[in-house]
Amino acid sequence: MAAAQAGDAAAYNALLRAILPLLRNIARRRIANPAEAEDAVQDALLTIHRLRHTYDPARPIRPWLVAITERRAVDRLRRQGRRAGRESSIEEHGETLAAPAANTGEARVAAAELRAAVAELPQAQQTALALAKLEDLPLAEASARSGMSVGALKVATHRAVRALRRRLRVED
Amino acid sequence: MQTEELIGRLAAELRPVRRLGPPVRQATLWLALAAAAMVLAVAHYGFRHDLAARMHLPYEVAQWLASVATGILAAVAAAMLARPDRSWRWALLPVPALAAWVASLGLGCFADLARMGPAALAMGTSWGCLRFIMMLGLPLTAALLVLLRHAGPVRPVPVLLLGSLASAALCSAGLSLLHHLDAALMVLLWHGGAALLLVVLGWLLGRPLLARPPRHP
Repeated sequence: MAAAQAGDAAAYNALLRAILPLLRNIARRRIANPAEAEDAVQDALLTIHRLRHTYDPARPIRPWLVAITERRAVDRLRRQGRRAGRESSIEEHGETLAAPAANTGEARVAAAELRAAVAELPQAQQTALALAKLEDLPLAEASARSGMSVGALKVATHRAVRALRRRLRVED
Repeated sequence: MQTEELIGRLAAELRPVRRLGPPVRQATLWLALAAAAMVLAVAHYGFRHDLAARMHLPYEVAQWLASVATGILAAVAAAMLARPDRSWRWALLPVPALAAWVASLGLGCFADLARMGPAALAMGTSWGCLRFIMMLGLPLTAALLVLLRHAGPVRPVPVLLLGSLASAALCSAGLSLLHHLDAALMVLLWHGGAALLLVVLGWLLGRPLLARPPRHP
């Protein structure tokens, strides 16, 4: 560490790698979650880097390292505790209400919007859409039932779909 | 980022640093600053008119010495605690002096009550005391916290509290040389109250300075 204080990068690199098991040990003793513990180790390394001028080479280095790492681990635990109090994981709230129908809200809103959009189409387009797309009839049969020619049906269906896309802002 | 990668980056950006001097030297430096501030205050306001008479009262002298000792020991304790590897027990260093100081202030109230009767409880205001302790104490606290800013990542709160206590005790001692308050209750209230206020302020204002979480590069 004394060499690192003087600016010896190789000695510093070797020192940090050598103390890594010690730091990990301390962090894992305090923090159960391995990812959080590793974050605490990284926090400790950053603090060691920032405080390297406070180390006194006349004294043993271990208590200095242990104090810094313990502190960072406790900080992590506290922050984790605060976060846990404020946030909750999203999966638990997939169903917000007990009644099954209440949880289909989005689908029902989308269906209502689609119905309203269809109702605003011209009558010919509505008929074409209903026969050709919803009932999925062959064009010849749809033509017979609606009294529209096959060409007119094709054009009306195409225009209806394009109008709905524009209205509901669906990308092509 | 992987931890090994972080080590590589820290080593790559390593710059030589100048080692901090021993903590006692830092505390001495700050105490010299505080003493200089008191000398300036005395030079400006002059000693209180009854100082000579007061110095013959052993009780008063003991009380004054207790406040000075609290200030010195709290400053040393703050400098020690600012180093990560020093024991937290250093925080106990100023406790006996602090206890003696507070006890002497409290006992003074009872002595006054026995001597003067209910007149000892007459309350007055002494905003001057509060202002003096704040005006001198806040800059001194700030100076100590700047000197000990390396405490931030490891033990910010004890260092903040001890640093504020050191300034407050020394300011109260300095004020005792300048300004006379006869009733011990007034001293307790205005010196002790101002000291407490300074500790709270030092803690509140100093927290953003010292208690910052580490930043990832």
